[in-house]
Amino acid sequence: MTQIVFFILSLGTIIGALGTILCKNAYYSAMWMISTFVSMAGLFVMLNAPFVAMLQIIVYAGAIAILILFVMMLMDRRVLNNKERFNPQYFWGIILGVGLFSDLAVLAFKFRINITNAGKSLTLHGSNTKMVGDVLFKHYLFPFEIIAIILLIALIGAIVLTKKDEEEAR
Amino acid sequence: MLIEYMIVSALLFAIGATGAMIRRNFIVILMSLELMLNGAGMLLITMSYYLGNVSGQIMFIFVAAVAASETAIGLAIVVMMYKRKGSIDINDFSMLKK
Repeated sequence: MTQIVFFILSLGTIIGALGTILCKNAYYSAMWMISTFVSMAGLFVMLNAPFVAMLQIIVYAGAIAILILFVMMLMDRRVLNNKERFNPQYFWGIILGVGLFSDLAVLAFKFRINITNAGKSLTLHGSNTKMVGDVLFKHYLFPFEIIAIILLIALIGAIVLTKKDEEEAR
Repeated sequence: MLIEYMIVSALLFAIGATGAMIRRNFIVILMSLELMLNGAGMLLITMSYYLGNVSGQIMFIFVAAVAASETAIGLAIVVMMYKRKGSIDINDFSMLKK
């Protein structure tokens, strides 16, 4: 049963990823990307991480995909879609991608770890969210603050990049 | 099951890298970067499960925050280049070459 669910979800993930990079229309690419993210949230639930799965749906399928779709809606449809799909040197890109995957697959098959405590100590009082909050605010408080500052800097950078130039406005 | 999860995340990473190398549309390249980050994050969650340590999920939260800020900056660059050049083909973005 677990195998079947894993097979269906991973198939959805991989087909969504392939559709993202192969579709000619950028809107369809965004839709395939959302399907990839939702299937990956299912895989996260199978790995005993329901909090991260909900975070995946809210942040990736909710925020990032909608941000990309909004920017695409602001643009001219012909500018967005009438260009050529691939680079002229796409053959070498595909070769490099296949080589990267073979490298990672060989590493995965040679990888051995001790998995005796698989699935243990991921919950506190029966809740994964409590455990994540406990560890996040006890051991990882300083990186949490740094991440908050990184988000603030990204916000300011986006505003500065898209505002109108002084010379152009004059 | 560990090997299957690792293969799926490696496939996601490789597909994302291939998409970033072969496509010309800047927005699709940003989506490929998201796929790469998600492949790495899925490996973090897998290791968190099989090692019995919740720190991998915390790392995924940090990766998601960095991915969100990276997308915001990338889309700001896209909008800026669209206003300047009227195109989002990356082969038109070669003003630093001259």
